[in-house]
Amino acid sequence: MAKPKVSTDWMAACAGCHMSLLDMDERIVQLAELVDIRATPVTDLKEPDKEGVDVGVLSGAVNLTTNEEVARRMRERCKILVALGDCAVFGGVIAMRNFFKLEDALKRAYVETESTDEEGKIPDDPEIGRPTKVRALKEVVKVDVSIPGCPPDADIIFYALAELAQGRIPEIKDDKLMWH
Amino acid sequence: MMISLTIDGKKVEVPNGTTVLRAAEKAGITIPTLCDHKHLHPYGSCRLCLVEVEGARTLQPSCTLPAANGMVVRTDTPAVREARKFVLTLLFSERNHFCMYCPVSGGDCELQNAAYQQDMTSWPLQPNWTPYPVDGSHQFIVLDHNRCILCRRCVRACAELVGNFTLGTQERGANSRIIADLDVPLGQSSCISCGTCVQVCPTGALIDRPSAYQGREKDVQRIKSTCVGCSVGCGIEMIVRDNRLLRIEGDWDAPVNGGVLCKVGRFEPLTVQEQRVLTPLVRRNGSLKVATWDEALEVVAGKLKNLAGKSGNGLAALASTRLPAEALFGFKQLFADHMGSDMVTSIEEGVPTALPGWVARKLGKPFEGNLAELRAADCVVAVGVDLIENHQVAGFLVKRALPMGTKLVVIDPFDNGLHDLAHYSLRPKRDSDLDLLIGLMEVVASLGLAKQQPEQVYDFAKYGPDVIAHKTGVSADLVHAAGQLIGSAQKPVFIYGKGITRGGFPTVLQALLDLARMVGALDDQHSSVISTKGQANSLAAYVYELDKTFEPKGRQAVYLALGDDFASQRLLERLEGVPFIAVQASYRSAATEMADVVLPTEIWAEQEGHYVNLEGRLQAAQRGLVAGHEVKSHVAILQALAQQLGFGLDGDWQAALSKRIPTNAII
Repeated sequence: MAKPKVSTDWMAACAGCHMSLLDMDERIVQLAELVDIRATPVTDLKEPDKEGVDVGVLSGAVNLTTNEEVARRMRERCKILVALGDCAVFGGVIAMRNFFKLEDALKRAYVETESTDEEGKIPDDPEIGRPTKVRALKEVVKVDVSIPGCPPDADIIFYALAELAQGRIPEIKDDKLMWH
Repeated sequence: MMISLTIDGKKVEVPNGTTVLRAAEKAGITIPTLCDHKHLHPYGSCRLCLVEVEGARTLQPSCTLPAANGMVVRTDTPAVREARKFVLTLLFSERNHFCMYCPVSGGDCELQNAAYQQDMTSWPLQPNWTPYPVDGSHQFIVLDHNRCILCRRCVRACAELVGNFTLGTQERGANSRIIADLDVPLGQSSCISCGTCVQVCPTGALIDRPSAYQGREKDVQRIKSTCVGCSVGCGIEMIVRDNRLLRIEGDWDAPVNGGVLCKVGRFEPLTVQEQRVLTPLVRRNGSLKVATWDEALEVVAGKLKNLAGKSGNGLAALASTRLPAEALFGFKQLFADHMGSDMVTSIEEGVPTALPGWVARKLGKPFEGNLAELRAADCVVAVGVDLIENHQVAGFLVKRALPMGTKLVVIDPFDNGLHDLAHYSLRPKRDSDLDLLIGLMEVVASLGLAKQQPEQVYDFAKYGPDVIAHKTGVSADLVHAAGQLIGSAQKPVFIYGKGITRGGFPTVLQALLDLARMVGALDDQHSSVISTKGQANSLAAYVYELDKTFEPKGRQAVYLALGDDFASQRLLERLEGVPFIAVQASYRSAATEMADVVLPTEIWAEQEGHYVNLEGRLQAAQRGLVAGHEVKSHVAILQALAQQLGFGLDGDWQAALSKRIPTNAII
């Protein structure tokens, strides 16, 4: 039997969840024996295989139209979608922006910053992603497994991925359940 | 009457009136709860404790449902589990519960823990992103409405435990919001900063500002001890991390306070800004210089040894009543017994205990009751005592009883927060309280309400209503009404304080005791008369006879065992001109600036020792923090000094507590 394919990506995230994934240290070698690690933010392949993968892992909240694309593409191409970390699961720190008007947040970031001169303006190039209301991944696509945590412990990520690699749905409960 | 019911197949017998939740606890079955709190009345707001009851149309909240005979309850069915998840789903969707930046996340949050128990890996419903205000106006407490689940524990604690009624709820349904008074910022409200609301909050909605983000429950140590803020002697828990005191909480199991604390006990110990004394200091060429213990003790011993046995112009010694009993006893032994000084006393100079102590010795036995009397009182008579300002937890016991119908009569010529709460507020002219008390006795006697005769003989004929009104300035109607109220009470309790003990009229206290006797609050078997005394070890200082007026004039040296206490301006003035002053202190202060030698000692949180509270309850204070290397305990310093002077300190402090008849039996 071929090894299950795993692909991951981040959306509006601080990269902490992927750091925590790498924090499993030498166990990543064990994991690599169990699964075929495909597209990830740290490999050359950036998008999940068109032919599909078995497990897709996304961290970060859905904050931009481009995040939405990433989320939909992963959902289309994977069998089991994992929301990794508090931002993907709940909206997280990123979702604090929802308490403000989008326009006010953009103005504060691009125009009213202390270091911005009078040239400051909100980027409007059609090529770049447009900010949206911040959403948890499950508000955009169906999520199969939620692993909360800010970030989830490396042990929990290892457990979840190892279970998925062996065709089981991980049970995130008791000492593996941590929202932070 | 006992009733029997079945919960999850287990038979359990409970007294009639027990709720299903408590019955389940008795059977060892855990039902998740949020709004329930064992020290508050059941409220039923959160619905997390829903259970299935055979024959009931819907799920029932177990916290408010009285158990009934033959009831069959199930706490772990699919319908119950689904309902719990649904309740949590709605709670999380209503406000903004973001654990990743909340100080109570990670074990301290009951809401988070409840979600963990239900294996919730995400929220079925997202919040609607309505920002709620955060009230940061209070010095010690932050109220974050985003994290509030409207369980009203805080509202109930403020009312039921503290009787302060500051917190309430505004609006209805999802718009409900916890407010202070008529929706003013907490910091500008009638809040008295007792912090009980913070201690009961199940989420991060009410947080303790000084300790927020300083450590989670798993990072800290809890050390049970006794508050030394005043003579009430509340049970506390010190919350300590890495030898740093983060927070103080009330000990729910403590018999005196049952979990509540006041500002003095909970917050003020964390606001001390004074600089610590970390090494011995000796005055050289006019300024205090760092010295070794040997040097400092040598200087003190050198000065004191020539003063042994001298009275009048010898040594005077003064100790704070915040010191543990062991230290007060060692202090007394060293300076009075060994050195023979006739001026060994405490910083209180016996003001709060002299008169009740005199009465106790005259009666030949303790005559006061304990604070538990207040819990059952239907009428409280407060005489010369401001329980709003001092001994606040005793005040909470009075305040919380008032809505239950307990009547309050306040007798105090001076401004006193209790006047505002009183049913009858009597403000006699200064020094006319004896007349007022006799007037009240006269009313009780003339209405035929006297249950016992007074001990003293009063010529009531001379104290007609008009005479009393004239002498005291309190109207005859008011005296009559108050007398009738006190006389008709089933369980009157008298609490008195410095207002009566001051002024030096023993007869005022005797009259008060006679009034108490007449209305059945004092007899040979039982006493519902309580005095508040002074600081933490007021009563211990009294039994060790450290209660005379301090007169340092003409003395060649003064030894001041201040500890973490501070000297009053009046005391400092009296110390002026004393040729040699040694101060055993924790902090730099005006007193240490006057000192020739400063000996660094532990603060309350660093020491071990015992305290006798106002009820005579002997309680232990535990060490929560480790003091600096050069800082010694009171007892260690006194012993070292005694050794230098050629004495031993080996007496039994506990046995010595029975040397003098106290106001309350010391147990």
